[in-house]
Amino acid sequence: MSDKPGQHTPLQLRERDDIVLRIEHLSVNFRVGKQTVQAVSDLSLDVARGETLGLVGESGCGKSTVGRAIMQLPPPTAGKVLFKGQDLGLLSGEALRQTRTALQMIFQDPISSLNPRRKVKDIVAEGLQIWGRPGQQARVREVMEAVGLDPDAVADRRPHQFSGGQCQRICIARSLALDPDVLICDEPVSALDVSVQAQILNLLEDMKQRYQLTMVFVAHNLAVVRNVSDRVAVMYLGKLCEIGDTGSVYARPAHPYTRALLASIPDMNPLSRHQQDGLPLLHGDLPSPANPPSGCRFRTRCPNAQALCAEKEPLMQVVRQTEQNEPQSKATGVVSDHFVACHFPL
Amino acid sequence: MTPPEFKEQPLLLDVRNLTIRLNSAAGLVHAVEDVSFVLREGQTLGIVGESGSGKSVMARSLMNLLPRRSVAQRQGCVVLSGREISALSERELQKLRGAQVAMIFQDPMTALNPVLTICVQVSEPLQQHLGLSKQAARQRTIELLDAVGIPDAANRVDQYPHQLSGGMRQRVVIAIAMACDPALLIADEPTTALDVTVQKQILDLLSRQQTQRRMGMLLITHDLGVVASRADIIAVMYAGRLVELAPATTLFGAMRHPYTEALFNSIPRISDPGHTRLHAIPGRPPQLHNPSPGCAFAPRCQYAQQRCHRETPPVVVAESSIVSAKPTEHLHACFFPVAKSASGEAN
Amino acid sequence: MPAKKRPKIESKAQNFARALQQVFGRGFGPGFWLAVFWLVIVAFCAMFADWLPLRDPLDPVIANRLDGPLSGSLLGADGLGRDIFSRLVHGSRVSVVIGLTAVTIGMIVGGALGIIAGYFRGHFERALMAVLDVILAFPWLVLLLALVAFIGQSLFAISIAIGFLWIPAYARVARANTLSVVQREYVLAAKAMGASTTRILVREVLPNVVLPLLAYGLVAMGLVIIVESALAFLGLSVEAPQPTWGGMISEGKRHLATAVHVALIPSITMFLTVLSLNFVGDRLRSRFDVKESNL
Repeated sequence: MSDKPGQHTPLQLRERDDIVLRIEHLSVNFRVGKQTVQAVSDLSLDVARGETLGLVGESGCGKSTVGRAIMQLPPPTAGKVLFKGQDLGLLSGEALRQTRTALQMIFQDPISSLNPRRKVKDIVAEGLQIWGRPGQQARVREVMEAVGLDPDAVADRRPHQFSGGQCQRICIARSLALDPDVLICDEPVSALDVSVQAQILNLLEDMKQRYQLTMVFVAHNLAVVRNVSDRVAVMYLGKLCEIGDTGSVYARPAHPYTRALLASIPDMNPLSRHQQDGLPLLHGDLPSPANPPSGCRFRTRCPNAQALCAEKEPLMQVVRQTEQNEPQSKATGVVSDHFVACHFPL
Repeated sequence: MTPPEFKEQPLLLDVRNLTIRLNSAAGLVHAVEDVSFVLREGQTLGIVGESGSGKSVMARSLMNLLPRRSVAQRQGCVVLSGREISALSERELQKLRGAQVAMIFQDPMTALNPVLTICVQVSEPLQQHLGLSKQAARQRTIELLDAVGIPDAANRVDQYPHQLSGGMRQRVVIAIAMACDPALLIADEPTTALDVTVQKQILDLLSRQQTQRRMGMLLITHDLGVVASRADIIAVMYAGRLVELAPATTLFGAMRHPYTEALFNSIPRISDPGHTRLHAIPGRPPQLHNPSPGCAFAPRCQYAQQRCHRETPPVVVAESSIVSAKPTEHLHACFFPVAKSASGEAN
Repeated sequence: MPAKKRPKIESKAQNFARALQQVFGRGFGPGFWLAVFWLVIVAFCAMFADWLPLRDPLDPVIANRLDGPLSGSLLGADGLGRDIFSRLVHGSRVSVVIGLTAVTIGMIVGGALGIIAGYFRGHFERALMAVLDVILAFPWLVLLLALVAFIGQSLFAISIAIGFLWIPAYARVARANTLSVVQREYVLAAKAMGASTTRILVREVLPNVVLPLLAYGLVAMGLVIIVESALAFLGLSVEAPQPTWGGMISEGKRHLATAVHVALIPSITMFLTVLSLNFVGDRLRSRFDVKESNL
């Protein structure tokens, strides 16, 4: 049986002063009919100020649920979300609403994220109006210009007159109006055209610099995540498989699932096509989230699965560096920023 | 580089000057404008484009699957295995659909009828086109499901679509498409709605089927990566027009059209380090209602000149391929083509 | 990141015209406008009946009794010699007033209940739906008879009674639309901003639910007119001698053999009005829905 959560501090949580968001043993369950689906199970991670954490995984892994659980929309079933040291789960009512202004979210479908009956300037000013902040007009103009929209041309129109990319800019402007600390992006470019994706990604990067944001970027496109993230967390069926510095995880994946994900990305090199793969890195189908496999949830599809994998759930451990890579600096005790939850890491 | 044997293969699909204009609330939409290309047996032609490029409209119009009321004008001809099919009656076309030409679509969730079993749905083309009896069709169905990689096919065959995952459903859709051994498969964004690990499995499956059956495939997608590794020839569409057509290696090695280059540069690459600034294409894809004169990409093109805004560039043969004596290998539609390779070097 | 062409700054007038064009699209077609024209005429008659140069609708002139159309007066006279055209015009007042009032009551009460049920769900929703199911299952005529017996037969009373009948239908429409709006991400975004529940209901939910309700209202008005005429047939509508279309049909049934125009003319008028309401309501509804689905 797996260890009971809460009995130890997960290794991947860092002890730093500038940790803005800290998630401990987060679990979110949904009731679907008669069954309980564990969308997120015992997840722990943290995000430091100014960092972008990429959260990747395929459908059903729970990454979107994590984003919403951080915002307490809806509140998680178990675990803690600490924002600047404060447990969001303990807040309620007015206090929670107020804290929410520091945590904003951008969604996947930009057009349905905007109320079709309202004018753009009202949408962007909404947060400011709710909290009665001064200088609304000026702030609205400022953020609209920052996201690349001409306030005079755009302010009095309604969302349906704009393209997907422009709507996403409006959503970003709306989120920035309240000067948040954390921006959670839930698949912000997945619904956009390829040529527009790059614009929005560049824009998010610019906004992050300009407003000193901390970002959590949830996406399924590994190349996009590589581009925007400082650290990346890989999820599978509600569990965290691997987390660490982006370069390290992408270059030397330690979890078999991460490796399979990276290998599935179509290669932009036309000459590689005639080389077929050797062993499949992944087989079978995704198990039902209502009835996940015992022990390690990935074991039913893992080519390296052993008996131990079915009995005991793997805990996060530090990824050991091999000789040719930078060895752990024993003198200063610096640990490499790369953790994996696997009994037999690669 | 097209493998030499392809040059000898007979023409499977010959599309000439296809133009489609659609009715819409806002007026006449120039969905497809003067598109021509060929596909030989056993080849894969990848058609790449974003929304509004016209690729899906064109794919559906090949088999006349667009709703009748929407199509305002349709010009050009489509020749399938030497037979002109653009003017065929609906009945004639129904004989071709599913038998000679098969289509698979993007969303496996809605591609299957939720209230019919897998067996019934896969058997349908078998019974209709091949005239098999119910028993024989069932047997063949199980074989087909096996061939597309569905485990325990003999039992699965009586299940309903909701009992299968997205990847499995897409496999069933492929099985239905393969049922009558078509000569041409049109795959319209077959993996866009699937997870990336399943995407690879499905694309591998399609490649295998194609090799086994010597089938021609039209692979339509917005993902350059997908066509890079799977297509022999790639056609790039923008605003309803064909802007570049070349063998895959040539396209990535020596792209000519600014849109192809811009598209390529704007995609984030796994190999790039984090926080690399992307070369975004400014502006957005054009409206197709009242196309302005000149090249549709000119407003967004960094190389645009006066002429580009006034005249529409015709499709011409790229200079390099004239030199290499393979005249129809590399086409593009630009007055001032670029000369860059995928790695950014000029050549 | 500048685009190659900056969007033109348009005048307010141009924006408004553009907005109208968005709403009304490229035209509704001649049928739609004919229907609107008819409804405008009916509304006009209802408002200005007293000032139009018509014969007194209550004045029985036995000499003209059962005169056919175009023999003396425009549409002839009924069994008591009263001018049919004038009665038609005055009768429109009843139809319009009852139609508007009943529909408004239904919309406000039913709409509010439906929105609350759809937003908060839980026990209130279940209780409300149960009550509404009971009301809907009741034969409406019996319900109306009971209500009329209690409240009386004035114009106002009939309106309230029929309005009450419409509450379940509106509650359903409002609830269904609320359910779909609540799932949209802009409601979630508003919550993430820290908006209070009241604010979300008023600013996010209400504007999006009101339009389908209004469009449904037009169709409902047609049905209300028919219900009123059914009441009139039973003699339970607004009391004589105030002319109502239903009442005129009821009176005319005696003369079906000899002077069919007495019943036919109000029937045709009512038919055209209900048809126009349905047509206009349906077109408007689909126009709004299309805009929604484009989003």
